[in-house]
Amino acid sequence: MLIIEEIVLGLGVVFITIGAICDLLASIGLNKFPNFYVRMHAATIGTIGGAVIPLIGVGLIALISDQLGTYKYMVFGVSIITALLIMIASPTGTHILANAAHKAKLAPVQPKVVDKLEEAEEK
Amino acid sequence: MNTQWILDIYVPIISIVFIIAVTLYIVRVLKGPTIPDMVLSIDCLGYDLAVFIGLLSLYYGTSFLIIGSLMIALWAFIFDVYVSKYFIKKELGE
Repeated sequence: MLIIEEIVLGLGVVFITIGAICDLLASIGLNKFPNFYVRMHAATIGTIGGAVIPLIGVGLIALISDQLGTYKYMVFGVSIITALLIMIASPTGTHILANAAHKAKLAPVQPKVVDKLEEAEEK
Repeated sequence: MNTQWILDIYVPIISIVFIIAVTLYIVRVLKGPTIPDMVLSIDCLGYDLAVFIGLLSLYYGTSFLIIGSLMIALWAFIFDVYVSKYFIKKELGE
């Protein structure tokens, strides 16, 4: 029972727990925030903290779990690549969505102090 | 090292937390006043599902499920792109 496997197992379990907690906080935040643009802060917690970190944890646990046989390296590789792709895709996706929502005026900026983009567009 | 013993204890507990998060996302999808709210929570739902399927692929000890989680993560991104393109240009660029 190598000591490094215990460490990697503990690390993977801690990552998945962090991911589950972040996911819970993000879903609560998504329901409590006033308008669409503030909800995107909670959405990034849900995607980066709630999807990238647990996928790295899944990869770490897959690396040392022998019941997967030789496929454990494939599961490790695919989960790390999925975590990397989510890290790249989710900010761009939410950015495109925010740009479209603001340009098509679908999401009202309700508790508004100042909207610089609107002023810039009027010029 | 066979990690099945910790997965048998750990995965059911974590799946309860994931199920609560998924129900809250679904509440936001149904309650969402504007369309971008729904798209945003479906986005988070997709990434959350990808993680859950990755966890299940460990729990059941098969390596086929992890490919599905990769596809779901990519689909969640493409969903954003198509929806926002439809918002602005009213066409999907086929």
